[in-house]
Amino acid sequence: MNYTKQIQDIAAKLFAEGKIDVFVGYRLNGFDDNHVPVLITDPQDVSKLVFTDKSVFNLVNYLKTDHTRRKRVGLVVKGCDSRSLNLMLTENQVKRENLYVVGICCEGVVDDAGQKMQNCAECVVPDAVVSDELLGTPSGQKPYTVNVDIAALAAKPLTERTAYFEEVFENCIRCNACRHSCPLCYCAKCCIDQETATLYNGANTTSAAFHALMTWSLHLAGRCVDCRNCEKACPSHLPLHLLHKQNESVIYENFQEHLAGVIPEDRGAFYKYSLKDPDDFIM
Amino acid sequence: MSVETFVTDKAGLVKFYEAIMAGHETYAPVEKFGKFDFKQVKSLSACDPESPIAKTQSIKPLFFPRSAKVMKYVATSAGTDVSEVDEDPLAVNRVIIGAKHCDARALQVLDKVYNWDYIDTDYQKRRENTVIISTRCDKADTHCFCTSLDYDVENMNAMDILVVNGSDGKIYIKSRTEKGSKLLNSDVTRHASRVPEAAAAPELKKQYDSFAASFRLKMDYKEVNAKLSKIFDTPEFDSVSGNCVSCNTCAFVCPTCHCFKISDEKVRDTGVRYKSYDSCNNGYFTLMAGGHNPRPAKYRRWRQRAMHKFVYYKERFGENLCVGCGKCTIACPVNISIFEVVNQVAEGNRQ
Repeated sequence: MNYTKQIQDIAAKLFAEGKIDVFVGYRLNGFDDNHVPVLITDPQDVSKLVFTDKSVFNLVNYLKTDHTRRKRVGLVVKGCDSRSLNLMLTENQVKRENLYVVGICCEGVVDDAGQKMQNCAECVVPDAVVSDELLGTPSGQKPYTVNVDIAALAAKPLTERTAYFEEVFENCIRCNACRHSCPLCYCAKCCIDQETATLYNGANTTSAAFHALMTWSLHLAGRCVDCRNCEKACPSHLPLHLLHKQNESVIYENFQEHLAGVIPEDRGAFYKYSLKDPDDFIM
Repeated sequence: MSVETFVTDKAGLVKFYEAIMAGHETYAPVEKFGKFDFKQVKSLSACDPESPIAKTQSIKPLFFPRSAKVMKYVATSAGTDVSEVDEDPLAVNRVIIGAKHCDARALQVLDKVYNWDYIDTDYQKRRENTVIISTRCDKADTHCFCTSLDYDVENMNAMDILVVNGSDGKIYIKSRTEKGSKLLNSDVTRHASRVPEAAAAPELKKQYDSFAASFRLKMDYKEVNAKLSKIFDTPEFDSVSGNCVSCNTCAFVCPTCHCFKISDEKVRDTGVRYKSYDSCNNGYFTLMAGGHNPRPAKYRRWRQRAMHKFVYYKERFGENLCVGCGKCTIACPVNISIFEVVNQVAEGNRQ
């Protein structure tokens, strides 16, 4: 998977036609073959752009920063990224007319060590679902499978699961990097940061970490697209995907096989009402 | 100060660490989820003093905890009763093994700010009661640049005891402070043989030279510092901080960042007040009660971070706040390197 040339050409063309103010893509980090995101405003820098299977970070995150707000933006999205972009559009966070989206038919990306990422192995929607231009050959939607780690955890007794998650929350250092790197955490003031919120007080205690991470994961239930930006950001290497994938599998099972952001204009599972929704938990 | 030097081998070093663990409260890198953090350990099998630098958190939380209780309070109809917190678990006599040189140096830098203006007695107590044993790295990691900064990595006395892997499997243990000498003169070194300081010097030098030659990142510190101090208003800060996602994890893993916030954990009328980490990259970090924010834009916060590390602290305390450990770059989800940032900004001014 290498679309470096095509993306450079598209960006150069967009700048030449005056269609965009900034192009969000990837560049080489300067010392090995890993990539870092880059925001290009000068057409001369277009040659820095690259795209290979090392282009991991979900760039939709940058649509919430000052560098792109109220500007015309060119953006590269893979399958999962495009789903989060879909949600950003549905939730009125960005205007479609301000975006020029280069969609990728993704064949899966690899981590720093060169291993194929777990979310790519389980990817359901590899092709970009929002795009002005689609690069690569679409391979179509794949069957949904329950995450292997979730399945393995589900097989364990409750006491073991509790102990495991206690360890996760214990090792959280409350830096909130997971939240900031999430493309869908765009609240101007997060509830976790409320000075008066006693549940999420800034302290690095296991209970505060538990409340903060659980609230965060529930706010993303039915919205998380499994791009793993949060895990990439976590300095303690916590398996944060477990929180999201558990929600995802429950929602997929109970809400008519709902997958976040796959269908344009489709609001999250919790934002719409359907007669088929389960109601047996209501007395 | 008397310098004690010992030589031993791999097995002797294990016995040395085990002897320390038997007689002292010991902290060492413990692995969890592929990342090492310093925790109290009882046996050598539970930890790895040789943990890779790229995967090890700093020892700062043992002196400036991620969350420390400041006080407890109970609100009653007659007023609020404030009480002292329980005894500080970090203020007891203890030994840290497996600390990295940069982490040890970071504490030396932090001492300046903790001894200035307000004296933080908790921090002082933790420092006084701790013996730091640091193993010199054999090879620099991708993002390391400690040798490019303003301190002498080879001869500094930031650690109390230095451990160096010499050639032919020989391991040298050398004291660098009075505290270190005292510990080495106890029976923990019974499996090592004492050698004169001069006899070990060539081996130590040789190891340092090969270590110093392994750095990918090198810069002229004086030049960068001089240039940065003159360019507060450069637009370069905007371009270098463009892809920052303001996640703040750099500050949380940094061995020298020392900003904190105060928050309360309340249950009805009782509560505990905590002092926890905060970061100048947080948008609300400088937000004032009236709503004014002197650093509303990301580049201003980045400028503060870079300039505080490389200019302001140096001006005020004579030390560079960044110790070149590369932890922020490793933790950064988009791999922004502080080394790259300061060099690019300094460079940009030249044109």
